Amino acid sequence: MRMAGPAADDDPLLSVSDLRTHIETDRGTVRAVDGVSFAVERGEAVCLVGESGSGKSVTCESLTGIVPQPPAEIVDGDVSFDGIDLRADDTDLRAIRGNRIGHVFQNPQHALDPVYSVGEQLIEAITAHGDVGERAARERAVDLLRRVGIPRAGVRIDDYPHEFSGGMAQRVAIAIALAGDPDLLIADEPTTAVDVTVQARLIELLRDLLGDGMALLLITHDLRVVASLADRVLVLFGGQIVERGPVGEVFERPGHPYTQALFDSYDGFEQLEDRPARGDLPTDGCRFRPECPHAVSACETGVQPPFYAVDGAPDHAASCVYYTEGRDETTVLDGNGGVRPTGEVTEDD
Amino acid sequence: MESSERPRFERVDWSEIDTEQRLVTTQRALFVAGLLVLAGLFVYDYYYAHVYLVAEWNVTPIDWAVLTGLVGLVSYGVVPALRNRAAVRRTYESIRSRPVLTAALAFLAVFGLLGTLLPTLLGRPELHFGYAYQPPVGVTVDAGWSPNCFGTIVQGQGIQRYCEGSILIPLGTNGRGQLMEAMLVAGARPAIYVVLFTAAFIVPLATAVGVAAGFRGGRLDDLLMTYVDVQLCIPAIFLYFIGYMYVGPSLLLLLVTFGLLSWGPVARLVRSEVLQRREDGYVVVARSLGGSDAYVARRHVLPNVTNTLVPAVFHLFAILILAEAGVAFLGFSDVELYSWGSTIAEGLSPDRMAAYQVWWISTVPAVALAATVVALKLAGDGLRDVLDPRGGR
Amino acid sequence: MTEPTGGDHDRSALGERTVDRRGDPLLSVTDLETHYPITEGWLRREVGRVRAVDGVSVDVYEGETLGLVGESGSGKTTLAHSLLGLEAPTAGTIRFDGDRVGELTGAAKRAFRRRVQLIVQDPNDAFNPRLQVGTAVAEPLALNGMDDAERRQAIVEDVLERVGLAADDTGRYPHEFSDGEKQRLAIARALVVDPDLLVADEPTSALDARVQSDILALLDEVRRAFDVSILCISHDIDVVRRFCDRVAVMYLGEIVERGPVDAVLERPAHPYTKVLLDSVPSLDPSDRDLPAPLTDTIPDPADPPSGCRFHTRCPAVIGPEDADLSTDQWERLAALRFTVQVGELPARIDGDGTTSETVVRETFDLPDDLADERIESGVDDAVAALADGDLDRARERLAAVLPSVCEQQVPATVEIDGRPVQCHRADPEFDAAPRPWNR
Repeated sequence: MRMAGPAADDDPLLSVSDLRTHIETDRGTVRAVDGVSFAVERGEAVCLVGESGSGKSVTCESLTGIVPQPPAEIVDGDVSFDGIDLRADDTDLRAIRGNRIGHVFQNPQHALDPVYSVGEQLIEAITAHGDVGERAARERAVDLLRRVGIPRAGVRIDDYPHEFSGGMAQRVAIAIALAGDPDLLIADEPTTAVDVTVQARLIELLRDLLGDGMALLLITHDLRVVASLADRVLVLFGGQIVERGPVGEVFERPGHPYTQALFDSYDGFEQLEDRPARGDLPTDGCRFRPECPHAVSACETGVQPPFYAVDGAPDHAASCVYYTEGRDETTVLDGNGGVRPTGEVTEDD
Repeated sequence: MESSERPRFERVDWSEIDTEQRLVTTQRALFVAGLLVLAGLFVYDYYYAHVYLVAEWNVTPIDWAVLTGLVGLVSYGVVPALRNRAAVRRTYESIRSRPVLTAALAFLAVFGLLGTLLPTLLGRPELHFGYAYQPPVGVTVDAGWSPNCFGTIVQGQGIQRYCEGSILIPLGTNGRGQLMEAMLVAGARPAIYVVLFTAAFIVPLATAVGVAAGFRGGRLDDLLMTYVDVQLCIPAIFLYFIGYMYVGPSLLLLLVTFGLLSWGPVARLVRSEVLQRREDGYVVVARSLGGSDAYVARRHVLPNVTNTLVPAVFHLFAILILAEAGVAFLGFSDVELYSWGSTIAEGLSPDRMAAYQVWWISTVPAVALAATVVALKLAGDGLRDVLDPRGGR
Repeated sequence: MTEPTGGDHDRSALGERTVDRRGDPLLSVTDLETHYPITEGWLRREVGRVRAVDGVSVDVYEGETLGLVGESGSGKTTLAHSLLGLEAPTAGTIRFDGDRVGELTGAAKRAFRRRVQLIVQDPNDAFNPRLQVGTAVAEPLALNGMDDAERRQAIVEDVLERVGLAADDTGRYPHEFSDGEKQRLAIARALVVDPDLLVADEPTSALDARVQSDILALLDEVRRAFDVSILCISHDIDVVRRFCDRVAVMYLGEIVERGPVDAVLERPAHPYTKVLLDSVPSLDPSDRDLPAPLTDTIPDPADPPSGCRFHTRCPAVIGPEDADLSTDQWERLAALRFTVQVGELPARIDGDGTTSETVVRETFDLPDDLADERIESGVDDAVAALADGDLDRARERLAAVLPSVCEQQVPATVEIDGRPVQCHRADPEFDAAPRPWNR
């Protein structure tokens, strides 16, 4: 295995640096992930929050290379897992994927093959990454089902996916992801397709697994799920991280205007002032500026506004010009690229 | 009507609008008118004209059936197309951009037109017993096979004389001196009849059954699908032979027997698609708006199932054409139809010759048959691509 | 006369929303039942029924938003479909504007179909991918008899502008629009025949948070400007809280609680409502408590539990009368009793006879030394049976010594906080320690 550097216990488990993934579409190349950097520590729960099109799913699929390439292409960036460079060698990647990194997706009925029993699929996952005898594999499969809370696991192991309810099927999918005893579980909207009472139990299961020392990278659009699970939050917009921080701080004082807009939408409802144009976000500077009430001309420059500490907290940062000292406060960008004097815009805070 | 004001939905006075389904639509009117014309022609033929209706056309039951089908196809197929010219133009452009498809459709169109018009206008291929077994252009045969040689006679060794094929008879003649080109075109007619009959009667029947079974479900579904299962077990040719004992060789009989027993798979397909799409949002909305099953199927379900339906229908055409050719080959079809199948059979056991000597008699129609089947399959696949909603608008 | 385009001018149209009822309800449902037969064999012999909607009575008044909340299996979608005529109810009556819907024929029936419109959940399959959206939005007009194509086109263009899209959009195809825009198109299509009632089936579930907010705002504006009632089906409490005036909570085909949104969500009277609300994670990261119902298994709608349907999952289920049990002890025993009853054994207990009694007692945290000997012996028997893997015997013994009125009798309707609720706890006739509900 090619090592990216000496691995120490206090090094992050997963380290992502300047990841870029482009996707070819009818309308040209979309920069789905445009310079994303973050880290996940051992045993930590990190939530990636964003709306559709923010790049959150593509980011996580790019980490283990499961994003379909073509039409996508990971054009740049470093991904390092426990010191191993995942972008270097396909063999290294395949040894890790499904083994030390597990994946769970949104719809369990899609993730499970309807023509094989749950046991067969579990055993397949177990034997894929280890030389295990049939009997031992089956025992481990039953253990895994127990671990995720399936009642009467010994009997249910021979049932087919359609014989499980949505919540139970998702547990089975989690069991399959756990087959290789992973250090990191990447879960993409695992509770979106289930009822709220079922979601609560799945959240408890994930907490349980976290308690065992597993790390979790959870993608969601639901701030409540973030509140219930995350240690740290990463907010994505337009393929970039716009805010990062410990969950308590981000929730108490959301720094980036997009994050603020997200929280506001939980309180009431109002028409969006500048409805996002059909799919066309700017490809430089701050991507949120067409919809941002605080946009200034400085928002157009660079690849992305630099990160500034929110309220002095060093681990809570927002990529927003608003926090720059000495910013030009006399003019403001309106949604169409024109410039208006500040007097016409009210800024709270 | 509002004059200078913009029409707004809340100003519509719904009590004024008659929501009764219109009885007289353009399609229905045309269909009924067409049927009346046909009925008139039938009466005329039966009582007055007797043998020949127009020029050399001796109208038989199969002709009436196909004409009826044609009336249906035109009124329910062509009229809506004329209404939606923009979509038709787009489809046309899309077809043009696919050379293979264009070629296949052109081939079918040419043979279709020729096969319909020429035998009708010119009657059966003329007999010229004096010019039997003439070779195609470029081929030389023993001049002794036939009393005359249309092409040039070439002297060989001793008293051996050869007859060369002439460009004027490019495909040669058969054992009765009938031009192979004429036989080719004449043989296209049963093939066209197969396609028209299938398109006009069998495909709509199968679709209607599939839609009814898919939407209504319950006992109707069980009944229909059980019938389809039974249908698949009965060999059509067997049924044809039984009918043949009573009515003799008849293309109509063939189409009815084979047709009645071949619509099952298409019905199943349609039913399966209907079941899948029944719960799609726009279908549910259309039903909630009060659309009848037929309306919802026609407008919302069927246009979205072309991916599976179109290739299946064209496959059905191909299969039935082959079936007709097969039956004709066995000798159980009407000789006057000059089906390719019977010509092939003729070529394989010619009068006083060995088959390989007059190979063109069986080869020419065989090639035509194969080409037609290939063209149909290519057309089916090509049209599927053209109509595919994701195929690049 | 040219009017400004866009929705702005309509904001001032009808002013404030009035909550007070204006006379008779627009839609009145009484004891509605929609059952599906389960058949066996070729003759389709009925062997059971799925009781999707099982005795629902609810009213929707003019100009109000009624939320219908429930999880899968609650019957909320079947209820909506029954109202629209997409499913045939098997019993009960639906009255729209005073007329019995089931008895309408001809023109009156078509008028009803026009006045009640549907907005489906998934914007991605709400439109026929083959048709231009202008044609799709005009379809209700065409189906209701408006033959003049130009008139239809003009109305559609007008409606599109008023929901925030452009007149030009009529020539586009559905895939050219974003999810939020498609939902706007769906609202336009529903509006175009000037309905009185909109049935919105999860109108925002497939949308991102900010787009949700946008669409809810549009729906609210539509409601105010055109005096349309909205029946909003949702599994999302946040949507109901922000958007609806009143809410009805459904469980297994019945409405268990109804009332003004603030009252129901702040002071839930029925234990299921409370369970539902407790299951929604808090937005406060420091509050991660997620109280669980007694069991997770949702009962089969074809075979609902006896008595109160919620009793197998109810954290407030009432214990045996005159039993010498503390609340705490009963809670744990109830967990044992009903978990065993529905067969939802915890993972550690396999039910195949390999578990020890100690493990069973530990897993359920069973109290030792109960005052009531009969109950104690019954529990001991059940624990032994569980350890042996004899689920049936365990069920029997527990059912015998731990009966509950909640499984024996259907609760009577009682008024709490001015709202009707069916719960034995609320019923003054029953001697069960009342519990404080306030969140």
